[in-house]
Amino acid sequence: MNLPELKTPLWGDDIPYVAGLREKAGRILHHSGFPSAKTEAWKYAHFDISSLSALQINTDVHHCDHDNCTCHRQPLPFSCYRLEFCDGQFLADHSDTIPGVYVKPLIEALFDGETKTYLNKSFPIEKYPFAALNTLYLEQGFMMIIERNTVLDQPIYISYHQSKSGYLNNMHNLILCESGSQAAIIEHFHCERANNYCNNIVNEIKLSAAAKLTHYVFENESVQSHHIELNSIRQKENSSYQAFCLKKSGGFSRHESLLRLEQKEARAEVNGIYRVNGSSVSDITTDIYHLAPETFSDQLVKGVATDHGKAVFQGKIHIAPNAQKTEGHQTHHALLLSDTAEIDSKPELEIFADDVKCSHGSSCGDLDPEQLFYMQTRGFSQDDARNILIQAHLNEVLEKINHPLIKEWLKDQFF
Amino acid sequence: MSEYLLEIKNLRARVAEKEIIKDLSLKIRKGEVHALMGPNGAGKSTLSYVLAGKSDYEITSGSILFDGHDLLAMSPEERSCNGLFLSMQHPVAIPGVTTANFLKHSVNAHRKFNGEPDLDAAEFLKLMRQESQKLNIPSEMLKRELNVGFSGGEKKRLEILQMSLLKPSLAILDEADSGLDIDALNMVADGVNQLHNEHNSLLIITHHIDLLNRIRPDFVHIYADGHIVRTGDKSLAAEIERNGYQNYLKGE
Ligand SMILES: Nc1ncnc2c1ncn2[C@@H]1O[C@H](COP(=O)(O)OP(=O)(O)OP(=O)(O)O)[C@@H](O)[C@H]1O
Ligand SMILES: [Mg+2]
Repeated sequence: MNLPELKTPLWGDDIPYVAGLREKAGRILHHSGFPSAKTEAWKYAHFDISSLSALQINTDVHHCDHDNCTCHRQPLPFSCYRLEFCDGQFLADHSDTIPGVYVKPLIEALFDGETKTYLNKSFPIEKYPFAALNTLYLEQGFMMIIERNTVLDQPIYISYHQSKSGYLNNMHNLILCESGSQAAIIEHFHCERANNYCNNIVNEIKLSAAAKLTHYVFENESVQSHHIELNSIRQKENSSYQAFCLKKSGGFSRHESLLRLEQKEARAEVNGIYRVNGSSVSDITTDIYHLAPETFSDQLVKGVATDHGKAVFQGKIHIAPNAQKTEGHQTHHALLLSDTAEIDSKPELEIFADDVKCSHGSSCGDLDPEQLFYMQTRGFSQDDARNILIQAHLNEVLEKINHPLIKEWLKDQFF
Repeated sequence: MSEYLLEIKNLRARVAEKEIIKDLSLKIRKGEVHALMGPNGAGKSTLSYVLAGKSDYEITSGSILFDGHDLLAMSPEERSCNGLFLSMQHPVAIPGVTTANFLKHSVNAHRKFNGEPDLDAAEFLKLMRQESQKLNIPSEMLKRELNVGFSGGEKKRLEILQMSLLKPSLAILDEADSGLDIDALNMVADGVNQLHNEHNSLLIITHHIDLLNRIRPDFVHIYADGHIVRTGDKSLAAEIERNGYQNYLKGE
């Protein structure tokens, strides 16, 4: 993938700040390039950039052949507000209006200048080459404002459907949770065929004082896909963010979260489960910055690797000198079920305050033969016993989901 | 078909290079109750695991027929579905799996093996309630994760509940009485007695006569140093209770 070839006319090139962002992103990419096997942050799950060379940049032309782009709508067992993406395009016309929530396609928001104070302001773009790539083609996505004190009665379900092979989709969403608001967002990536494509997503999320957001990301991408997602979250006083990332075995996926707990009593929970079969690769990387006193974070990630699957968990908790009375916890437990699968786990703590409670634990092992035997003596076949134990392992994370219908749906979808 | 439900002939088994079962023979007819007593470490639980099919043990010689079929050729789940049940001395906890779900799966695995349709949730719940009440197992316990944080006595009652749901033709109870209070002991004994009839058999491993006073054995075997050193009737258990095993152990 050669960068000069990538340049393509985009909406908003004539808006100075948008053009400026794109230019800067281009310069960064040109200067630092894409991560190689030597890049520390990417050394375990190396991304072979040449795998994208056959892909075209997907801009605002909607390529999907569907007569009606809602034909892939899946019935859901819970009521929700729906936002639709198809092949990387945000389809505002097919999306619901949500009381108390302002949603605008990013293209329009770029023109109106509303995005200026937020876009790429929450993370250092030099460190995120794929976010730079995303910015180079900044166009698709939405800006969402969950208005002050709005308490949503049902979750916002965002469907990202992929109908075709051959595209690199860059999507950038700004989600602003105003003070006192409460909402849940479900991002569902799905593809019914073995399409070859890349989803490159950046979500910039800001939680103002006392805002609450539950953020589910369910990746059910194809075996040939690439999925790169950066969630950059800034939290103000007493806000709370709870994330669940569910990664069903797909192609290559990197789910990265950068959390900044900027004011006191901000709380964050980052949970995840993954399965890697075949030659699927899953990377979950988190960086949690405790920047104020009395902040709290907790991470629980559980996974299963079989066949030639490869999984990476990199979690770093940073505690700033003034972030006293802070708690940061991190746990990663994985089942490594074949000799050819691989799991790399790298928990890190970087603590500059003294009055803190921090913990991290990591384990990687096989299923317990005593449990398997016990189940077999009760008539369970070996396969059933294994599957039940695998589910039980992953269920510990799913059990933390408060919404009973979402929990059941995700269990059904995942297993 | 065969006169014996279980027929163990000259069995030798080892684990980690150590021979634990040394030339053991035992025959159990349909309808019989056998008790197996012996000092700690004699190999009683090992025998129960070998019968249930645990793979840690290497069978170096001998044979086991179960209802005329080669037991050693069967997987643990085939043994279970064919009617062999082991109530374990140390039942295993399975976090993340609720007791009720586990029991349902187990019952349905057996039904599937017998060509019967699955019980649906309502049918199963009815059956489970009915059986668990007899053992005074509260439904709260059935909602919890299997054996996680269960007391010793609760675990044992749950083993007997599984026995009553699966209705085995041969039940091996390995210290089903250990850790039980007197009421629980009576409930377990009643539960076992209700299931016992002329078509099924029991092999009761115990250190105490109390259970044998409630479930009356036809034979009592003394098992020491890897094989049966003496077989008698119930009075043998009473003698062991009085004198211990010293008369049956080789001077070592
Ligand atoms: N996996 C193993 N590795 C090594 N030794 C073992 C193993 N399993 C059992 N043993 C040994 O085999 C012997 C028999 O153990 P077993 O549990 O069968 O005794 P038991 O008769 O049931 O004793 P108890 O009355 O205490 O329950 C013991 O010495 C035990 O330590
Ligand atoms: Mg024992």
